[in-house]
Amino acid sequence: MRKLLDGTHLGAAVAFLAGLLASTHGEAADPVKVGVVTPLSGTYAQIGKQVRWGAELAVKEINAAGGVNGRSFELIFEDEEANPPVAVRKAEKLLLQDKVDLLTGTVNSGSTLAVGQVAERNDRILVTTVSYATSITGAQCNANVFRVNANAFQQSSALTAWLVKNIPGKRYFFVGPDYEMGRSTIAAFQDDIKRLGGTEVGATYPPLGAKDFSPYLGQVRAARPDVIMTATAGNDTVRLLTQLKEYGMLSGELTLAGAAGAVTQENIGAMSGAAEGFVSAAGYAVDVDTPRNKAFVEAFKKQYQTDPDLFGADTYGLFYLFKQAIEKAGTTDTAKLRAAMENVTWETPQGTKKIRKEDHQAVVDMLTVKVVGSSFKTVGRVPGEEAIGPNNCKKF
Amino acid sequence: MEDFVSYLHFVVLPQFIDGLIIGVALALVALGLTMIFGLLDVINLAHGDIYMLGGYAAVAALGWGAGYWGALVFVPLLVGVVGWGLEELGIRPLLPRGDRAIVTLLLTFGVSLILRDLAQVVFGTETYAIATPLSGMAKLAGVAVPLYRLFVLICGAAAIVLTWWLVYRTRIGAVLRATAVDPAMVASFGVPIRIVYGATFFYGCALAGFAAVLLGPIYAVFPTMGHDFLLLAFAVVIVGGMGSIAGAVIAALLLSQVQGLASLWIPPVWAETLVYAVMMLVLIVRPRGLFARIGEA
Repeated sequence: MRKLLDGTHLGAAVAFLAGLLASTHGEAADPVKVGVVTPLSGTYAQIGKQVRWGAELAVKEINAAGGVNGRSFELIFEDEEANPPVAVRKAEKLLLQDKVDLLTGTVNSGSTLAVGQVAERNDRILVTTVSYATSITGAQCNANVFRVNANAFQQSSALTAWLVKNIPGKRYFFVGPDYEMGRSTIAAFQDDIKRLGGTEVGATYPPLGAKDFSPYLGQVRAARPDVIMTATAGNDTVRLLTQLKEYGMLSGELTLAGAAGAVTQENIGAMSGAAEGFVSAAGYAVDVDTPRNKAFVEAFKKQYQTDPDLFGADTYGLFYLFKQAIEKAGTTDTAKLRAAMENVTWETPQGTKKIRKEDHQAVVDMLTVKVVGSSFKTVGRVPGEEAIGPNNCKKF
Repeated sequence: MEDFVSYLHFVVLPQFIDGLIIGVALALVALGLTMIFGLLDVINLAHGDIYMLGGYAAVAALGWGAGYWGALVFVPLLVGVVGWGLEELGIRPLLPRGDRAIVTLLLTFGVSLILRDLAQVVFGTETYAIATPLSGMAKLAGVAVPLYRLFVLICGAAAIVLTWWLVYRTRIGAVLRATAVDPAMVASFGVPIRIVYGATFFYGCALAGFAAVLLGPIYAVFPTMGHDFLLLAFAVVIVGGMGSIAGAVIAALLLSQVQGLASLWIPPVWAETLVYAVMMLVLIVRPRGLFARIGEA
C-alpha cells in the first residue's frame, strides 16, 4: 500500500492529472474559424485587399485581448476572383473541408447571393461587408445572410438628396457595370433622382471589367449631362474616369458622383486627379471624429501604411459583432447566433450600428463624402433610420 | 440645323475618329491573317494568340526595363520569330498533304490552346496594365483626342502603307504574289519557296505583335485578349475577301466604323453583334468577300 503512494508514483499521478486538465483546457481553446472568401485577384482585387486588412487587424486585436470566451479567431482566406461560380466553389471548400463556423468576405453582389445559398444549405451564416445590391436584403433575402454595410438604397437616398440640393444642373447620366450590383444601384439612383426633380438623359451598362470605355463615351457626349453617376468599382472606375479625362470631358461644369465603392482609398492613386470632386454617400469616412475611429485609423495606418476605406472599416467592425454575438449566445450554433445578431446594436469605428431583424440589414448613418485632392472629406450626414428605407424582405 | 451640325461635330466625329484608331489596329491583325491564307491556304487559328503573345512580350519587356519604345521594336521581332518557328516546325511538314486545309486548322487550333495556357501558367490570370507612354490631348478639328491614340493611328497607318508598298512595289512582293498563284512555277525559277513561306509568316505575325504593343495601353493584357480580337479579325478577313490585302484594310476600317457609330444608338455590346451580322450578310450575298485574293485579278 505504501509503495503506491511513494514519491515517484505521486509525481506521476500529479503529472497525469495536470496533463488531463491541460488537454481539456486545450479543447476549450478551439479557435472560431471564419472563412473569408474575397477577391484577391481580378477587377475587385483592391477591395479584397482592404477586406483582408480589416479582418486581420480586428482578429489581431481581439485575440490579443483574450479572444472570444477564451477562444481565438482563425481566418482562412480564399480567392473568389469577383466571380460567383468561383466564389461558390471556394465557399463549399471552406465549409466542407475547413469546417468554418462563419463566412464572410464576398464582394461581388452576385457572389454574395450565390454563397448565401451555399451557406443556407450548410447551416452557416454569411455576412457581407461590401456588397450593396439591394436584393441581398430585399427581394432575394436569406435567413442565413446578414449585411453590415450600407446598401445601394441607403447610399442613393443620401447622395441624391445632397446632389439635387447642391448642384444647379439637373441632367443626369448613369453608368453601371452590367450585373446585379450595377443594375440595382443605378435603378436606385434613377428612382431617387426622378423623385427629387432631376432629369435622366441616358444610362449605359458596360460589362464588368470592360477594357475600353470609349465606345460608351459617345452616348455620354450625345447626352450632354451635368452630372455623371457611376456604379463602377475598382479598376473599372479607374478606366472610366481616366478615359473621360483623356477625352477632355471632365473640364467645365460636369460633376462626378456615384456609389460608395466607386472611388476608394485603393484606386484613387491610380486615377491621377481624374476623380477630383467626386461625391458619394457612404457608411464610413476616414475623418469621422470619434475616439474609436481615430484609434482604428491610427492602428490601420501603422500596420498597412495606408488609410482604411469603408470596406476595411466595415469588415473590421464585423468581427466585433461576431465577438459580441458569440459571447451572448455562448456558442457558434447557427440558430442561436442568428438570434444573437438580430435587433442588436454594437460599437464600430463609425459609431453605433444596429441590425434590423426583418431583413438583416444594418442601420447606418450615411455620410456624404467628396474627393478633394487625394483624400476624402465629409460634407453632409443623414441619420441611419432616415436612410434605411422600408423592409422588402418577405422570406423569413 | 445648327443642333444637327453640332451633333455631327461633337458626337459623331469623335466616335468616327475613335473607330478609325481601332480599325487601323484591327487591320494590322487581319493583314497577317489574310496574307497567310492568301499565300499558303492556311487558316491560322493561332493568330489571335500570337497577338496575345505580343501583349505579354510587351509586359515582360517593360518588366525588364526595356521601355515602351524598346518594346515597340523588340516585340514584333520576337513574335515574328515565333510565327516563323510555327511555320517551319508545324505548318510546312503538313503542306504537301491533300487534306492540308483541315490539318493545319487543327494544328493551329491546338497551338492557340497551348499558347493561351502557357501565358496563364507564366503570367497568371490577372490583367496587366501597360502604362501609356504619351499623355495629353490633341485637338483634331475641334475634337479632343488623347495624344497616345493619335500616335496609334499614325503608327498603324504607317505599317499598313509599308505593307502595301512591300507587296505591290518591291521585287519581294512580286515574288510573294507569284508564289500565291503558282508556287511550282516560282520554284522552278530558283526562288527558295520555303523562305518565302517563312518570311510571310514572320511578317504577318510581326504585324500582330506590333498591333499588340500599340493597343496594350488601351486594352490592357489578359489571357483571352487574342480570342476576342481573332473573331473580329476573321470577320474582317471574310468581309474583305480571304487573301486580299486591300480587302483586309478596307473591311477593317469599315467594320470598326459600323461598331463605333452603332454604339451611339445601341449598347456597344450589341454593336459588336451587329458586326457579325454584317459578316453573315456578306457571306450570303457575296461569299468571296469584297476584293479578290492576292495575285488574282
